[in-house]
Amino acid sequence: MLEGLLGNIMIEKILFFLITYGEGYPLGMAKTFGVPVNRIQQQLKRLEDSGIVASRLIGRVRLYTFNPRYPFLTDLRQLIENAYKFLPDAEKEKFYMRRTRPRRAGKPQ
Amino acid sequence: MKIDWKHVHIKDLAAIVVETLKKKNIDILLVGGACISIYTDNKYISGDLDFVSHAALKEISEALQEIGFHRKSSRHFMRDDCPFFVEFVSPPAAVGSEPIHSKKEINTKYGKIVLLTPTDTVKDRLVSYYYWNDPQALEQAAMVAEAQKVDLNEVRRWSLQEGFKEKYDSFIARLRGKKL
Repeated sequence: MLEGLLGNIMIEKILFFLITYGEGYPLGMAKTFGVPVNRIQQQLKRLEDSGIVASRLIGRVRLYTFNPRYPFLTDLRQLIENAYKFLPDAEKEKFYMRRTRPRRAGKPQ
Repeated sequence: MKIDWKHVHIKDLAAIVVETLKKKNIDILLVGGACISIYTDNKYISGDLDFVSHAALKEISEALQEIGFHRKSSRHFMRDDCPFFVEFVSPPAAVGSEPIHSKKEINTKYGKIVLLTPTDTVKDRLVSYYYWNDPQALEQAAMVAEAQKVDLNEVRRWSLQEGFKEKYDSFIARLRGKKL
């Protein structure tokens, strides 16, 4: 949907991911979308270089969020949220409905 | 003028970079931690100089090579014998969701530095405190407000606009020496 504007489909998916979950790490995104992790890292670097996302290390994991310092963040979020409404339900279900509530350690799967 | 790169003062390096790029008609603005160093007379020491420019990084890179700074990653420039590195952050220059309206100029023996005003420097640090709860950023904002003339009414207006009244109150409490 926004691929033409954003340059590629992976950026669109990453932005939908961050709108939905608030944060994410490259391997988690790669597993969600079934793509190589370096493809995600490449696009996250592009977004970080542009000031759109920010990252910090939590243990050994680099966690990405939208960068609150990005001056057009409110407008960008609005655009992404609007575009998200047009996603097919199947795609929302597949990629953006992951369980995020806590699960006690040791609990059987 | 011969430059002692190993012991160069951050303020002088900022001026050298500004003047080098100005010769190529590239205007840049110093933002970030280096502004804190300059405004607090190095009470806070920054290891890098962040600039904002609308010029292409390729042009900036070519100009910086003239003073021995080479591109180390997409936006970082280093010189082997200089303790500071230089970064060009993505434009525009902004504090939170507002653009920068005014700039400060400081003269040095190497030329002029163009940087954020003390008031915008305080806002710039408060962004990190407001959004990421960064205690170092709060401390740095307070250090600038103590060392320079800062328009606290403007900082208050902006903080409310950004939606952080409570954290602005914490900043004022810190300035008044109250325990947070």
